Amino acid sequence: MTPDTKTPIREFLENLKQAPRHIRESALRNGKMPETDRERSQSTFHNLFLHLQSVRTDRRSLRFGYTFGLGLILTASFVVLTITGILLMVYYKPGVELAYNSVKDIHFVVPAGRFIRNIHRWSAHLMVLAAFLHMARVFYTGSYKRPREFNWLIGLALLVFTLGLSFTGYLLPWDQLAYWAITIGANIASSPREVTDAIGITAWFDPGTFQKQLLLGANYVGQESLIRFYVLHVAVLPLLISAFMGLHFWRVRKDGGLSRDESKPPPPARIGDRDVEVFAPTKTYGLMAVVRGRTPEVGRAPEGSVSSWPNLLWAEMAAFMFTIALTLVLSYFFDAPLKEMANPAIPENPAKAPWYFLGLQELVSYSAFMGGVGIPSIVLIGLGLIPYLDRDPRGVGIWFGGPAGRRTFWQSLVYGLTSVLGLLALTVNFGWLRTWFPTIPQIAIIILNPATVIVAMYSAWSLWVLRRTGSIRMSAIALFTCFLAGFVVLTAMGSIFRGPNWHFYWWPSQWPTH
Amino acid sequence: MSGDPSRSFKWVTVVCSVVTIGFLVAAAVRENISADWREHQSVFRGILLTKAKDDAARRTAQNLPIEIRQVVVPALHTVDRCVSCHLGIDDPRMTDQPNPHRVHPKRLLAIHRVEKFGCTVCHQGQGAALNFEEAKAEDYFWDYPLLPAKFTEATCASCHDPRALPAGSAEKLVLGMQLFEQKSCNGCHKLDGKGGQLGPALDNEGLKTKHQFVRATLTGSQTNWNWFAEHFRDPAGIVAGSLMPMPALSQPQVEALTVYMLSLRQRDLPAEYLAPDKIDEQYARLHPPAPDGAALYHRYCMACHDTGMHTRWDKKLARFVPGIRNAAFIRTEDDECLAENIREGRPGTRMPGWGAKAGGLSEAEVAALVAYLRTSAPAMALPAAPPRGEATRGSVLFAQECAGCHGMDGKGLIAPALANPVFQQAATDEFIAQTIRAGRENTPMPAFGRAGVSEPQIGDLLAYIRKWQPQTRSQHP
Repeated sequence: MTPDTKTPIREFLENLKQAPRHIRESALRNGKMPETDRERSQSTFHNLFLHLQSVRTDRRSLRFGYTFGLGLILTASFVVLTITGILLMVYYKPGVELAYNSVKDIHFVVPAGRFIRNIHRWSAHLMVLAAFLHMARVFYTGSYKRPREFNWLIGLALLVFTLGLSFTGYLLPWDQLAYWAITIGANIASSPREVTDAIGITAWFDPGTFQKQLLLGANYVGQESLIRFYVLHVAVLPLLISAFMGLHFWRVRKDGGLSRDESKPPPPARIGDRDVEVFAPTKTYGLMAVVRGRTPEVGRAPEGSVSSWPNLLWAEMAAFMFTIALTLVLSYFFDAPLKEMANPAIPENPAKAPWYFLGLQELVSYSAFMGGVGIPSIVLIGLGLIPYLDRDPRGVGIWFGGPAGRRTFWQSLVYGLTSVLGLLALTVNFGWLRTWFPTIPQIAIIILNPATVIVAMYSAWSLWVLRRTGSIRMSAIALFTCFLAGFVVLTAMGSIFRGPNWHFYWWPSQWPTH
Repeated sequence: MSGDPSRSFKWVTVVCSVVTIGFLVAAAVRENISADWREHQSVFRGILLTKAKDDAARRTAQNLPIEIRQVVVPALHTVDRCVSCHLGIDDPRMTDQPNPHRVHPKRLLAIHRVEKFGCTVCHQGQGAALNFEEAKAEDYFWDYPLLPAKFTEATCASCHDPRALPAGSAEKLVLGMQLFEQKSCNGCHKLDGKGGQLGPALDNEGLKTKHQFVRATLTGSQTNWNWFAEHFRDPAGIVAGSLMPMPALSQPQVEALTVYMLSLRQRDLPAEYLAPDKIDEQYARLHPPAPDGAALYHRYCMACHDTGMHTRWDKKLARFVPGIRNAAFIRTEDDECLAENIREGRPGTRMPGWGAKAGGLSEAEVAALVAYLRTSAPAMALPAAPPRGEATRGSVLFAQECAGCHGMDGKGLIAPALANPVFQQAATDEFIAQTIRAGRENTPMPAFGRAGVSEPQIGDLLAYIRKWQPQTRSQHP
């Protein structure tokens, strides 16, 4: 036994003393906070969560004015929604007799329950809003173009899931607002009946009623609908959205990171930046070397890029904290609504769907089929086709693709707003076909109504832009902008300017009390 | 660090983190620590300490836990947390304390134990709430807001027959009930299946939510009690086109009637909550005592026919209402004819049927009403009617003499409709002839016999009037 040999008991004590350090080191695969660029890269690369990111990030991807952090805000609100949602699930009881009172109890007696419910509500609104804005950002920067076409489709699926999550959550409090909003939503689902009724085949072929029953599990909103919406809301849709989010991120990475203008060299690194240290790849790529395409940025000089650790992490942290701070402030000052308990005998007037469907509800008030099925299908198919119709590789990573696109955007915005406002003013003041020709067959209204007229006007404008500029991209900008304008105006119309019996009012304070 | 590319992100992160932590702390304080009920409970602890007479009481007071308190009554489906602030509600020592620490007035909780009844079954309001504004829930998203003290008697009727309560315990409610009968509200409103049909039925009026009332012109508080008060003051001002007469009520009467309206609630309460008198009341409804004709007339007929001695012009109905207790009329009608008119009413006019299928009166009650009407005059033996003559001659005469009041088409103008199936079925030729001949005292109907209309002419008129007789004559029970 030599003097420096530890006795077993001393070794045990020594190990016990060192245990916290060893646990930390074993948990972090690098063992310590990275200090050199190489270590930073490794920290990113060797971490399950961080390796979703590239080890280096193009400086242009970090510009706030390019992304507005919208994708991160979406992710952050989804995380907030998941956490608050799980907390709410602990007290929420999905039964028609119990649901409302359990939400009341969350409001009154669960510690901070009201605050958590408010956060859940506000992040949900934020997520829907951010999803629309994120889509607009991706569109206007041309980021859907090759090779990112398929990720645009995944994004569309995510948008649909987000709306589905928000819509299914709307019913759960089982109050009057929830009950009648979902009743409206279910009636929108049954709107193909308008067509089958008009051509008289409902008795044999009735997809509208089928859709409604599939959604509600019955012919009216009741226990079956509540449990169905609950399962969709807490299990099916969150799982789907998580899976698709993973896929979406993975494709962002594999399709070459955030889009940027590849025709220009990246901005030169500034002297004094601490991360201009260049190191040659020491790694031998195995199978990766035979992968086709632009995937790993092998052989590219790191100029213009910064180490993802910590630069990208700070950007992400900022977006997360911004989202959380925003929802907390809103939740502190504004309570989530909770009206009287659902009462099928007392319809809300006006009964309104959640705000993001109010544009559709406005169209439904003219033709149930066009507003409920026709237009949404046209819009979704149109959005999905954009990257496959516009194959021009130029203009990626530039807002509106340059000054010409910017001009087209403003012109289309003015055209889109004027035409939809004009059409609404016409219908509010003078009515529509049914007012002028009371006996007109319904099929004529289904074909010719403000919804189809506005789509026709927008398409015509887009075609005119196509002929004038000869650019599919310009035409797409024109059409997308018009639809965006239409969406905003119709949503505002449905939310603010429609009162009892869907009559026009300048302000809700003018509504009659009953 | 001037070249740090994440500088702005770090700033955003720091600022947002500070905001986040700040609001988390603020929310934690607001939601958990600064709640009103905690304050009330610590004040109550102080009151208990000052009232404590011995060490044991002092210890109890000191150890009073500050916590959410609630009364859960599964039988009534209520969870009432009112006792989180009203800690002294069943403590008789708390008579001299201000609200919310004061004991319940009139020692009512001695006979309505809090644990059995809770609070909201009598007071309404949102029992689950933990602050007064939301517990009161007035002009708020809650179907049954807290009843103001002056209307609380309304809910006694859920379990009691108000008339059986000891004198002075539900005075407003009893007064309201009496007013309801005195003002003959049942003449137009059905209650428990009995009553007229000009106005809406009033069953469960007290269980309606504010959304079931037309509130387009209701100003001020949107509560049901304010609706009733405003509506009793000016019915047509609240419900456009209402035919309801302005009952000219004093303020206490308005309150009493409002209490009665709010008391109309058939709740499906467990039997152990019902007072024996309530069960007696329900039994009496199924097994009514011998009907009283005068009371029935008062309750169901007076709203339109008033004393029934004179024909009166009704401004709201815009027509003459026949004086049905007028001796000249009663004399000419036999009992069966009167009963038939009561049972069937006069379709096409404002007079509804009152038989079992319509107004809900039993045969015994119709008979009692007929007997009451009969007190005006005995039925006379009607002289025979002249044979029916020539309708075309009759029509000329009708246009000259009768159409001014009865309308050329006999649909009635200011006088009763003659082209009315019930009239045609119930009225015999003798009755019509006698009415034309002798007129109707105290009404605008003159005695045409004395004015020179001859018996053959009456026969012609009969022929013309009978043209309105329905083709198939159905037999009535």
